[in-house]
Amino acid sequence: MHLSDFPDRLSPMLVKELRQGLRTRSFIAVFLALQAILAVILLAAGAGATSDNAGDTISNIIFVFFSIAVIIIQPMRGIAALSSEVKGNTIDMMVLTRLSAWRIVAGKWSAIVSQSALILVTIVPYLILRYFFGGMNLFGEIMFLALIFLSSATLTAVTVGLSASSSVILRSVLPMIALPFGAYSMLMMFMFSGMRGGGGGIAEIVSLSTTESQIGVSLYIATCAYAGFFFLSIGTSLIAPYAENHSTLRRLISFVVTCIAAMIGSTDLVTDADVLPLLFTMILAPVFAISLTEFAPLVSPTYSRFTKFGLPGKLAGFFLFPGWPSGVFFCALLSLISAIPFVLNDHSYGDDHYMYGLICLASLLFPAVVVNLLRTQGAQRVSNYVLFLIASGVITAVLAGIAESMSSKGFLWLFLWIPPVLFALEEMSRSGDAVLIASVAITLILFGILIVMALAAYRKSLVEIEKSINPQ
Amino acid sequence: MSDAAITVHNLYRFFGPLQAVNGVSFEIPHGSVCGFVGANGAGKTTTMRILASLDYPTMGHAEICGINVIHHPAEVRKLIGWMPDHFGNYDNMTVLEYLDFYARALGYKGAERRERIDEVMDFTDLVPLADRFSNKLSKGMTQRLCLGRSLLHDPQVLIMDEPAAGLDPKARVELKHLIRVLAKEGKTIFISSHILSELGEMCDSLLFINDGRIVHHGDSESLKKSTDTLGGVLYDVQLDGDPQALSDWAVLQPNIEFLESRKNGGRIRIDTEDPNKAADVLSRMVRENLRVIDFHREQRNLEDAFIDLLANLEKDKQTVPSPPPLPQANPPSAPPEPPLP
Repeated sequence: MHLSDFPDRLSPMLVKELRQGLRTRSFIAVFLALQAILAVILLAAGAGATSDNAGDTISNIIFVFFSIAVIIIQPMRGIAALSSEVKGNTIDMMVLTRLSAWRIVAGKWSAIVSQSALILVTIVPYLILRYFFGGMNLFGEIMFLALIFLSSATLTAVTVGLSASSSVILRSVLPMIALPFGAYSMLMMFMFSGMRGGGGGIAEIVSLSTTESQIGVSLYIATCAYAGFFFLSIGTSLIAPYAENHSTLRRLISFVVTCIAAMIGSTDLVTDADVLPLLFTMILAPVFAISLTEFAPLVSPTYSRFTKFGLPGKLAGFFLFPGWPSGVFFCALLSLISAIPFVLNDHSYGDDHYMYGLICLASLLFPAVVVNLLRTQGAQRVSNYVLFLIASGVITAVLAGIAESMSSKGFLWLFLWIPPVLFALEEMSRSGDAVLIASVAITLILFGILIVMALAAYRKSLVEIEKSINPQ
Repeated sequence: MSDAAITVHNLYRFFGPLQAVNGVSFEIPHGSVCGFVGANGAGKTTTMRILASLDYPTMGHAEICGINVIHHPAEVRKLIGWMPDHFGNYDNMTVLEYLDFYARALGYKGAERRERIDEVMDFTDLVPLADRFSNKLSKGMTQRLCLGRSLLHDPQVLIMDEPAAGLDPKARVELKHLIRVLAKEGKTIFISSHILSELGEMCDSLLFINDGRIVHHGDSESLKKSTDTLGGVLYDVQLDGDPQALSDWAVLQPNIEFLESRKNGGRIRIDTEDPNKAADVLSRMVRENLRVIDFHREQRNLEDAFIDLLANLEKDKQTVPSPPPLPQANPPSAPPEPPLP
């Protein structure tokens, strides 16, 4: 009575999830349905292949169905990945083994991605058959397939990471809306590329044949890796027991990534002035979301690891201790680093770029201020942060719509305290100076509030930890 | 460092304004079975979770086999087996796969893993259920599976939170038997339960917790004696006819207290141990037309002791004007929430 289906070297979580996942109806249904659909389509296309575009059409069909399977259905299977463990009280039993919270989350993610890989492998024979219809950009289509798979892995990381959240809206409703919406956008992109230059349009773009293609694909891969890591990291923080410190490594990684982006931004490599603000927003958004809200009590094992290095250790702890108070200081540090390329290359950037950067920064700080003012506790903090962030965007869109229909932007100034409203004001305003001043003021105020609150909480946590280490 | 298997000293755990654990201190020696008793919300589960390194105290410290739970949780986890009060099982996973997963997660490889699983399945009698899906098991089977899981790494200390809750009598007997065997093997067992009679049979000592404070620590006999402030002897009286007649009669009698109704009568306390007085009471009953068919002396049980203990505490509370001060002057005013949902 022994099991020998998976070797010892595989992660226990991966083994468990594969054992369970491969038996689930949703996987079996997706797997079989995709095979059936592709086989029928290919046979039908083969029987009536008269058009010159038959090959491209078959490619598009393969990609569309593959995308639906791995970009909508597979990531959706991650929606309950961690919440089911939390609800079932099985997380406790797992963390008492040698599995760290990170290994649990990574195992959940890798099991779904492995199943997506299984689907990817079964697509290959259809692509080989499609080759005989001619007009195939072999490398481009393989790259495209790989990028769809990478997108699937990233989206799975998003759903698995968020599945630990206590908020049903964040955990289930948002992915259920966002994933089909994303897939619809992708479908439109296929159709658009089909009209532009045949089905191979996107394959051409991702074929790495030009420098732009190489930079674009590299950036996309880096973005997916970074976003995937961060969302898995959010899930890890939400389920981790108090003794596990995941914050420090996460912050160090984001620190290194921000420094690299700042260094690249300070050179002449980035020619388009719009790229850098966008890049920093993408890097900083997940860091801010988790660092400004992180609930992780400072416990003596973590504290001792820093303090054994004396003053440098304590200084590092000011930015790297787990918990939101040091997270605020860390985010302030990252904001300063991000500002360096703009200061060094002042000539390349105009007021619009500064304004954009400041509004983005204020928009990321605003939900953190609300969460801390409301004294939200525990794992709900990060969930509420994301919800407030989304809500502020939605409110801005509604207000902008009203202002548009009334042909008057004046009342928008009343909602200045919701930073994304500044985007709407800037859009409708003739002179950007007032909006620029407002964005500077709002950003400073929000940072000021957070720093004051963080200093108080930080001091208190140090007093408590010292008291617990030296009770006398 | 302490020689005890479990040492808890001045432990506090606050959830906002709620003081779940309020200055708890106790020691449990190696190889003993200790029952942890208290009403719902008394602080049992919180204390046990802290000991299992799943939660952290607001103040105070806890040790398992001399290792600090807060400072060295990873080391402590190797020493403890944890059975939570409720837990879910996995879909699409057999009993064997379930144990295989946890054995892998505990770091067992190859033949050693198979050996451990076999031992645990034999001990918990799970062999016939090996291929059954774990979410299709009965509550009793599930508890055996959970016990098996918690024994995979052969822990020195077992922390069991309400393991008998929801079990049918047969499953309860089986679980009790397994616990007895484990105790004989020298494991330290810290077990909470609402079924006091069972704890009395199994445990070397009992810890009573109320409102986050330990109110008694000792064996069941010492508890029964220490809480018996009223004295007297308990009698079970069964009538042929309306059982209400007994309580109506008892209310009018001096030196007799009617304690509780039972199916055909009730339970009374006669305030003296003199057997002649009991005979007098019986003859009075018969004289006054109570059709007594059974009249026998009863021992005070743990439930009585527990209820008396709570009543005494309640009485003390009413006589003392303000609650006792905390041992430390400045406990954190806004303690953080636990990291797990």
